Order: sequence, then C-alpha cells, then structure tokens
Amino acid sequence: MGIKLTLIRQPTVPLEAEVLCPDTLADCSADEIAQLTIYHGKRQLPLSDFFEIEGEKSDEIEIHGDLKKVRWIGRGMSRGRLKIQGDVGMHLGAYMRDGLIEVKGDAGDWIGAEMKKGTIRIDGNAGGQIGAAYRGSRRGMRGGLIHVTGSAGLEVGMRMRRGIIVIGGSTRDFTGLQMKGGTILLGEGAEIRTGAWMNRGTIISLKALEVMPTFGIAIRQFTPPFMPLLAKALVSEGITLPENKSFDLYNGDLAVPGRGELLVLSS
Amino acid sequence: MLRITGGKVYDPANKIDGQIKDLNIDADGKFSDGQCDSRTIDATGMIVMPGGVDVHTHVAGGAINFARAMTPEDHRRTQAFIRTKTRRSGLGGMAPTTFATGYLYAGMGWTTVNEAAVPVLSARHTHEELADIPIVDKSTLTLMANNEIMLDQMEAGEYERARDVVAWYIWAAKSYGVKAVNPGGVAAWKWGGDARNLSSPIEGYNKLTPGTIVTQLARICDDLGLPHPMHLHCNDLGAPGNIKTTLDTLKHLEGSRAHIAHSQYHAYGGDGWETICSATAELAEYFNSHPNITTDAGAVIFGDTVTITADGPWQHLLYKLTGRKWGNLDVENETGCGIVPYTYRPSNLVNAVQWACGLELLLLIQSPWQVFLSTDHPNGGCFWRYPEIIKLLMSRDFRDECIKKLPSNIKNKIVLPEIAREYTLMDVATSMSAGPARALGLKQKGNLGTGCDGDVVIYDQEDDPGEMFAHPRYVIKAGEVIIDDGEIREAPDGREYIAKPFYDPATNDFMRPLFEDCYTMQFENYPVEIERVHGASIHDCKNDQDS
Amino acid sequence: MGGKVTCTLGEVKQRADFIIYWGGNPAECHPRHFSKYTLMQKSKFLPKGRKDRTMVLVDIRETKSVKASDIFLQVRPGKDFELITILRALVKEQQVTDEQIEETGLSREALNDLVSRMKAAKFGCMFFGMGLSMTRGKHMNSAALLTLAAEMNAFTKFVAMPMRGHGNVTGADVIMRWQTGFPFGISFNRGYPRYNPGEFSTIDVLVRGDCDAAFIIGADPGGTMPQPAINHLKRIPTIVLDPHITHTSKLARVHITTAAQGIAAPGTAYRMDEIPMPLKPALKSPYPSDEEVVRRINEAIAKKPFWLPEGSMPQMVTEQV
Repeated sequence: MGIKLTLIRQPTVPLEAEVLCPDTLADCSADEIAQLTIYHGKRQLPLSDFFEIEGEKSDEIEIHGDLKKVRWIGRGMSRGRLKIQGDVGMHLGAYMRDGLIEVKGDAGDWIGAEMKKGTIRIDGNAGGQIGAAYRGSRRGMRGGLIHVTGSAGLEVGMRMRRGIIVIGGSTRDFTGLQMKGGTILLGEGAEIRTGAWMNRGTIISLKALEVMPTFGIAIRQFTPPFMPLLAKALVSEGITLPENKSFDLYNGDLAVPGRGELLVLSS
Repeated sequence: MLRITGGKVYDPANKIDGQIKDLNIDADGKFSDGQCDSRTIDATGMIVMPGGVDVHTHVAGGAINFARAMTPEDHRRTQAFIRTKTRRSGLGGMAPTTFATGYLYAGMGWTTVNEAAVPVLSARHTHEELADIPIVDKSTLTLMANNEIMLDQMEAGEYERARDVVAWYIWAAKSYGVKAVNPGGVAAWKWGGDARNLSSPIEGYNKLTPGTIVTQLARICDDLGLPHPMHLHCNDLGAPGNIKTTLDTLKHLEGSRAHIAHSQYHAYGGDGWETICSATAELAEYFNSHPNITTDAGAVIFGDTVTITADGPWQHLLYKLTGRKWGNLDVENETGCGIVPYTYRPSNLVNAVQWACGLELLLLIQSPWQVFLSTDHPNGGCFWRYPEIIKLLMSRDFRDECIKKLPSNIKNKIVLPEIAREYTLMDVATSMSAGPARALGLKQKGNLGTGCDGDVVIYDQEDDPGEMFAHPRYVIKAGEVIIDDGEIREAPDGREYIAKPFYDPATNDFMRPLFEDCYTMQFENYPVEIERVHGASIHDCKNDQDS
Repeated sequence: MGGKVTCTLGEVKQRADFIIYWGGNPAECHPRHFSKYTLMQKSKFLPKGRKDRTMVLVDIRETKSVKASDIFLQVRPGKDFELITILRALVKEQQVTDEQIEETGLSREALNDLVSRMKAAKFGCMFFGMGLSMTRGKHMNSAALLTLAAEMNAFTKFVAMPMRGHGNVTGADVIMRWQTGFPFGISFNRGYPRYNPGEFSTIDVLVRGDCDAAFIIGADPGGTMPQPAINHLKRIPTIVLDPHITHTSKLARVHITTAAQGIAAPGTAYRMDEIPMPLKPALKSPYPSDEEVVRRINEAIAKKPFWLPEGSMPQMVTEQV
C-alpha cells in the first residue's frame, strides 16, 4: 500500500515541502513522516501540521488538496511515483533524477527545472520555465519527459540540453530560449520569440507561429525523417502525433549563430 | 585576559620552532609578559601559530561585487551560513558574501587580509564593504599604474609631481599602499589594446613605457616610506612565454623593494598554448638571489572559480576562450576590471602546467620569507581552499598522487615531480603568516612576541595537514576566542590599516583642474572621509622613516 | 553566454565617440546626462566635444531626445528584442532577409549604416532605459543589448549601461549583492539568502499574495505596481518609511515620517554606474533618518525571542536530496 497525504489547511504564505518526495518518504514510518520538517514561510513545522497522513514506507505517494502554495514537491526524486490530485505550486520535480510525477490539476513555474531523467505529466495547465535552467545555470533539463496537456507560460525549456517537452496547448514568449538540445513539441503554437538565441535542439509546432526574424527558412513542405521515431517514443506516453504532415523548417538563431531547428506545420 | 598553555609554538618572527611555550594576552588584546588570570586554554599536544595573513586577495569592492551578481548558480550549490544569534547569514563559494568572507577566513585561522585592488573612485564602496567583513583586520591597495594623471607626470619627466600625486591618491582612498596592474596595459585596453612589451611606449603616449612606470612607481613607494612596497601585477599575465617579460620587469626593479603578485601567472615558457611550460626555475633563481623582492604564489587549484582582475585585455581573451559569461568594468582615469567564471581542470594541459607552477614557486624559492601562500583569490581558486595547498606543500607523496592525474604529455613541461622539498610547520607558519605580515609592514601581525596583536590559531595535531589546517580547534583574534572547539562563537568587527604618506600641500590645487577635467564627480566628494572608515588605524609614513 | 561589459560615466565623458540611447528619453528623464557625460563634454581624446561624437537614439516614438541625436531609429513597438537580435546577426555577417528586417520598422540601409558606424567607432556606449527593460521581454531585452555590447568587443571597444533612476535603486542593488550575493528577489525564509526573480521579486510576491506583511522604504509601489499587488498591500499590515505622503502611505497601516535622504539625512548614494557618492545634507529635519528608524526597529526585534527555536537549523534547498 502507498502513502496518501491530504492537505488539511491552506497555507497563508508559501509552504516549502521538498520532503514530499519518494526518496524521503520510502524509508519513513508513519510517525517519522508526521515529524518531517516543512517550512511555512520562515516557520519550521512538522508535516502533520498541514497534512493528514495515511500509510508508510512506500515510494508510491498520493497527495490531495489545493497545493498551489506548496513548493518543491518531488525535488530531486530518483524513484517511485507521485500522484497529485489538485493544483500544485512551483518547482515540482525540480532536479528530478527518475520516477514519475502525475498531476490532475494545474502546476506552477519551474516544473522539472534542471531535471535529468524521469517523467512529469500535468493534466492541466502549467506555468513558465518548464524544464528550464535556474538563473545563471548553463543548462536546463538534461533528459526525461515533461508533458503538459494544457497551456504553459514563459521561457519553456530555457537552456534545455536534452529530453522532451510536450505542451498540448500553447505557450507564451521565449519558448526554447537559448536551447542547447532536446525537443519541444507545441500542440497549439506559441506567442512570440520562439527559439530565441537557440544553439541546437528542435522545436516542433503543430500550429503556425510567429518566427523570429533571425531564423532562415531551410525547406518548405518537409517531412522530417525522425517524426515516426518521435511519434513511436511518445505513444507509450499516450501522446499521438498527426501522421504524414509536412513542415516548414527554419534554422537559427542566426544571432548566436546557432544550428537549432524550428519546424512549423505547413499551412 | 587569555592564557594559552602547553602548546607547541611555531613563531618564525621570534625563531620559535615547535618549542612548548605559554602565551598570555592582556586586556588590550596584545601579547604580554605578565600572567593573565582569566580564561586558560590548555593547548597541550596542539600546534600554535600566529593567525594567517593574506597578502593578496580580492574580497571587497566593485569587482568582486560584480562577480557575485554574475554567479547565482554558484551561490545555489555552495555552503550557506544560516543566521544564528552570533552570525549573520551569507554564502560561501567562489565569490563569498561579506559576512561569509569573515567567517570563512577566521574559520581557517586567518586574521588579516589585504584587499589588493581598489580604484580610488569606488574606494568609498570598498570601505563600506570591508566594514561588513567581520573578525579579520584589513588593508587595501590603490590601483595606480594606469592612472592617467600620474602617467602624464611621468611622461613629462616630473618625478616629484608623480610622487605627490601617488601620495595624494593613497590618502584620498584611505588605503595602505600601491598596487600596479599591467602598467600601461589597462590604459591601452580602454582603446581595446594591451601593453605586452616593457620598452615600447604605451598607447596614447610618446615615450612613456611600462618599464619606466615600474621603475618610477617602485621608487615612489620607497621614497614615500610606505609600509608595503609596490605591489606589482606584471604585464603579460597568463601568456605562454611571459617569463621574458617577468624577468625584464624584475630587472627594472633592481635596487628597490617590491612585491610581485601571483607570480605563478607570470612564469611560463613556450610560445603558444600547445608549447606552454613551466619556467618557474628561472624565476625562483631570480628571487633566490634578490632578497629585496617578495612574492605570493597565486597558486591554481583544480575546480570552479571566477576570475576577476584589473587586467581587462586578459579577461576578454579568457571570455573568447571559454565562451562563458563576461563582465567588464572600466573605471575613469584609473583602471578597469574584467570578470569571467572559469573551471581549472587537471585534464587540461595548460591548467595542469599552471597548477604545477604555483607549487613549484612555493617550493623552489628557498626562503618562505619571500614567497607566500595565495591563490590570488578568487582567480586561481578560492581562499578557503588554502589548506589543500598546504597539504600539497607538506607531502611529496600527496603531490605525486595528484601528478598522476595530469595528462601524460605534461612530462618535460613541469619540474614539480623532481622536487623533493616538503614544507615544515615552521615553513607553513612563515609562508601563511610571519612572511606576509613582514612584507606588508604590519609589525604587530604574524608575530607572537610581546606587544604584538593577540591573533593566534591553534590546531589539533593531525596526520592529514589538509584536515588539520582546514579545521582549527581555536582561533583567537585580539585576545578574543572566535572559534572555540571548532565553532564560531563571536564575530567582532576588525580594524582597517591606512597609510598616511606625506605630500606637498599644494598638490590639492594642482589636482583640482586635472581632476575636474577627467572625472565626473565634485573634487570635494572624491576623497573618502576618515570617519567613513570603520576601525581605522593610521600608519604615519613620515614618522616611520625618521625612526 | 552574456554578462555585462560596462564602465563608469567618466570613461564615456572622456572617450565615447559613439553613443546609443535605447528605449530612454534622457532629455526629459536624465536631463544632465547629455551635458555632463555623453554629448557636450570635451576631453583630451575628444577635443571638439559634440562634433567628435555621434549619437543614435532608438525608440518607439519621437521624444524630446530626438533633437539631440544625429540618427533616430524608430523601432516598431514590441520589436526591440528582434531588432537587437538582428543586429547581433548582422554584426557577425549572417544572412537576414529584407522582409525580416522590415518587420522591425527599419530598413536594411539603416541597419547596415548603424552596424558599420558601430564597428568604426573607437569607443561605443549603449545606454538603455525602461522603454527597453520594462516592456514585453523585460530582462531578456536588457540581456540582448548587454550581449550585443559584449560581442561588439570582437571589433572595437563597446560597453553598455542601464539608465537607472528612482532614488538610490543602484545602492540597494549594490549592498544586497555584497551582503547576500544577489541584487534583488531574495528570500531569507530558510535563514540564508536565496534568489529567484519571478518567485521572490516584490511584484510577484504581492500579486500571488505570498507575504503576510510589507515593509517599504524609498519606494511608492502603491503608485506604480499592478492593481492586484496594491490590493494585497491593502490586505496585509503595510509599514511605510517616507518623508512624504504617498499612494503607499495612504494605504499603509503605519507611516513613519523620515528625513529626506540627501536633503536632511546623510548617507551614500550609488550612481547608475555604481560609483558611490556621499550625501551631504543641506537642511535639518525634525524627523529621524530611515537608517535610525530601521536601527531602532532592529533593536526592538533583538529583545524578542530569536526567530529560530533553540536547537533547530533550517536545511538548504539544493539539488541534493
């Protein structure tokens, strides 16, 4: 049996709870879990002050409640499964090393920031800086998959190096900013400055979007040979790509100068 | 006030080499002959040394503060100081915050630091920052070798004017001495150029050469009776084959006192990045036959750091080589600085040569009174890694182990593997404390004799010198126990040493029009008021000369 | 990957033969900038003063500063980032089409002319204002111009500097950096400084309602911040230190009147180039200085129990579990 945590009162200021992570909880008895430290603003409190706890010693964890103000859940997790019912706050799965996070609800900024491996699935909308590099870091996510069914915010995949980000809806500005590798798939396009200053990597948009003036058109009506492979890889994640579509391929960002690829579904 | 009994004392200034000796510190925080009857520390079986003195570091001011802003990624992964009742919060790492700087230095037994590069224009800022560095005593050096008002006097052959100008600036900045960085080269950088040859006129001048600046500035420091001689960062830093420039520079210094900063960066042979090799043997030989000159190693330690130096042209090159972040700040009329994060790797041949060169200089220069422990923090590595260098100096076996990790083609490029010398505790105490204190002219530091400042570090004797020096059992500053059983107990404010050289009172009137011509602030607002310096302790140069 | 290449204003005064103002209106917002630093001054290196200097103004509309400029480039609103990015490409001789250039509202001729002038300059300086740094793209717009300036050093000397204003904002930034390592957007809730603009920056904290008290010195967020932020300030106990009645003081629970800095209270202010200037008060004030009020609040807090319970130590948030 897994562990089930339910939020029993709303935090009035952000609640930082990096202990809500399979790596930490898996070895804890119910009493130990209740005594884990969380930070309500500057106050250090036991987890049981905010959560009702059922179960113990498991890396299968379910968390219920409106967790919008709860940050750092699943920080650096390397195994197991986190299921979240409800909205969740910033830094979900940051520095993740493996395992699975599933959210039924919306997520905040910085989910999967600088993650290395594992999967994050958001059945809802998410904030900005998904899979991004923290300020000043040279690299964002280095592997793994982030799938957001809804829309997302600014700087999605900023400086990512490897791995895949799939956004079902649309994203805001600077998607793939300074990207160094990996793949971003955009179901409903993006606002502006997509792929700005990218060096390498691939951004695929299934809807027309505004292309930066420093991207050159390489080929129109192009069927990328890797699409079937990508489609196959994503099927197991429950993502289906449209088949036999052709794309316009742009290269950039010339300002760097970079060799990134921006594929936009041909109209 | 405090009594330390039974310890093995290493006090090079008084030729005490491991004898058991009791120390007494009086209520004024100075060593005394009389017995004090308050707290006694039983140091039986422990090692007792004078508190460390860093002759060359960059811990406060515009440049390091620029570096802090540029490296949030390092702040995230570094050791944090959590706020407690006696300690404010801060961050360690490549460019530590002010409070953390004090805790880190004191935490490894260093009690005096010399901030080696202050532009007068932002000296007010540097002093405000130094006031926020607790525990340690501090001094600062004013950047002079590219000051255009001074250079113009030298170009015109007005030596005495140039000397008055230097003295005026030192007092305006409330600093302790003169730092010369890449003489003429920073001035040329302001047009994107550099000065790499001692005998060619520098850009913008007809006859003034870097060599003339070096000779005259060294003489000025001597003539002014400054406690610390000219502190020189030679031209051509970091370039393969720069040993020629360095030796040429040293020849321009014959007859004067001088301190050569971070000489590791100036001791390379070869003619390119592929052929770079150590030329430390030649440089060490020069030091061995010229006791008038001291130096600090500027040793390199493998790992991440951020390089900051007034040497703008070198930093632009480093930015191009690394493709990482670059900060640059040119200061009107005076100097400039560049900031580039950097990682020294053992697998990188050039870095490996640099690593060896620093240790070679420390080992090949025979007198530890002439060569001091430094990494040119943060350029070669962070100051809190000094214990690792001490371990390398004290153990040939450990050196051999580290040499094995270097690229195989390093053979014939370095001499480190052949050096058998191992530092004794007396050598360490000289190189980390007594020697730099003497070079700085801080007679009350690095010395456990009567009347000197009661700055002491006490170590539990351990087999691993790296561990031993990283974690002192007690650190005492002016008689106050700062580190007690390895924990920070107190964080009092330190003092700041300032030199007051004599200058012709007419210099003020001479400076005013020149100043208004090239600066952008009111002449009256430029000198730092003495009330703005916390814990100021003024060294009157004139009196010193007379005595 | 970026950084910042800059200098003090005296360097501009003495050397800059090529000046770009981007997204700012110095004629009205920094009225002494032209005369003291950038345009009118003569120097050893620029003996003819204004005649030896070229000034380019880039803005989305004509302002009073246009009259002072040699070249005015009117960029289409919201296209600053694109324009700077195109310039970065052109400087490196990358191919950008005419159509792509024209999206920014400027012609290829104008940009080619600008690039060749930039490369031919002996000492170039770019100043940028809030028209760049506070419009869509924000920090990335500033980063773009700073990067362009850094990259120009492959050809000639170039520097960049933000046109900062609003009292001593630079001073706050400088001191936060030496005490905490970060300029702004800092949280101390774990007992040590953490930085994340967007998470801990004032507007974001207020808009999300992440704080339960506010202490405001030397600013009037009630007049400048978005409505949701102001609404939160009204909800929570807000304390204001200010010499004047302001939008914020009106909504605050507590307003402590203080002496005006520089007029009736001494101290240090940092200029936009981070040069510290002593403030020498000309008048006396019956009110205490900000510093004194903060010191007394600190002393009062010190008498209360320490914020950390005995024996507890917060953990750092790092990559390590």
